[in-house]
Amino acid sequence: MVAVLTSRKAPTQAEFHAAISSRADRWYSACLKITRNTDLAQDAVQDALLSAWQKRHQFDHCSRLDTWIHRIAINAALQLLRKTRPGVFEPLSDEIAAPAPTPEHAHADAQLGETLAAALTHLSDIERVCFVLRHLEQWRLAEIADYIDGNVGTVKQAIFRAVKKLRTHMAALQREAL
Amino acid sequence: MNDDNMKEFAALELDKVIAASADMQQRWHDSIDAAAEREAATQYSTHRGFSPMSFFWGAAITAALAIGIGVAVFLADRPRSTETVDYVVQELPGSGLDRQATFSRALQVHLYDTQQSIATIPGNSAEERALLALQIVQQNRLFVQAAERHDADNLARVLRAFEPILLRLAADDIAPADADALRAQLAFEMKIMLTKLGRDSSNESHST
Repeated sequence: MVAVLTSRKAPTQAEFHAAISSRADRWYSACLKITRNTDLAQDAVQDALLSAWQKRHQFDHCSRLDTWIHRIAINAALQLLRKTRPGVFEPLSDEIAAPAPTPEHAHADAQLGETLAAALTHLSDIERVCFVLRHLEQWRLAEIADYIDGNVGTVKQAIFRAVKKLRTHMAALQREAL
Repeated sequence: MNDDNMKEFAALELDKVIAASADMQQRWHDSIDAAAEREAATQYSTHRGFSPMSFFWGAAITAALAIGIGVAVFLADRPRSTETVDYVVQELPGSGLDRQATFSRALQVHLYDTQQSIATIPGNSAEERALLALQIVQQNRLFVQAAERHDADNLARVLRAFEPILLRLAADDIAPADADALRAQLAFEMKIMLTKLGRDSSNESHST
């Protein structure tokens, strides 16, 4: 009984520190791939940690603390992206293209590494976000649609375009290798 | 990475983990510490407003001490009634010493209790420490007044000197190491005072 009660306690400060030490790289990576901006990614993790700390009494002990914070960090990254670039999740047009590179992108790309940065550069914001959430974060299509204020069809279309562009990019890489 | 698309794009390193710099990680650790401290400070100020158990014990101790001091001072200073004049006159040579001895004993009890209380303050509870320190300040002020009424100016001055130390001990933002140093300083000074009071009362009893 005591063990059950103990396990239901809110995560401690030490547990938060342990989670940061072991999983901060993964939270930051996910946020960086979504925002493609080092400052936004860093702020997203910070916001997520503070939000998780304040809501730690609501933490469901069926899941892991680091997984819970990871999810909050992704949400924070999406919110920051929407805040800094209003209209980033507007419905797709047929002519949608990757945004022109900015100094923030260049800084983020340096951290992402040449191969990964080159792949993400070819995607528009909505394509990148939908692809990352679906294939790297394993979100359901409906969840992604909720977050971008769109519908499942829009999400599917964005992922389809992302996959197509990435295939093209891979083919180019293979040709260069030959 | 259990998706066919991700296997297909493995060469693109889409699932690559990017290391967060040490500065970033330190900033995140610090933000948790800062949030925890802010929360503790908020809880402390909320509890400090009213904590039933702490309030009860604090009030009970203060009331008991105040009554004890009041009775001691009243008995020592009480004007003698006419019916007992003869008896009082017979006691006059020793009455000043009796008053002094009563006060001295009450002060010794206060110092001893304070010494014990300070030694048992929970080191990790700023709230308990502050509450106890403020209670001791209140009691100490009563003894300062009593010492002044007994013309024990030196004693009053020494007791008054405890107050700034106690108030620093009650501060919210004091570091645990500083709190320990102040407790040690108080314990040391109270021990000296107790030794001196014990020696004085012993000398008086020998001289009479």
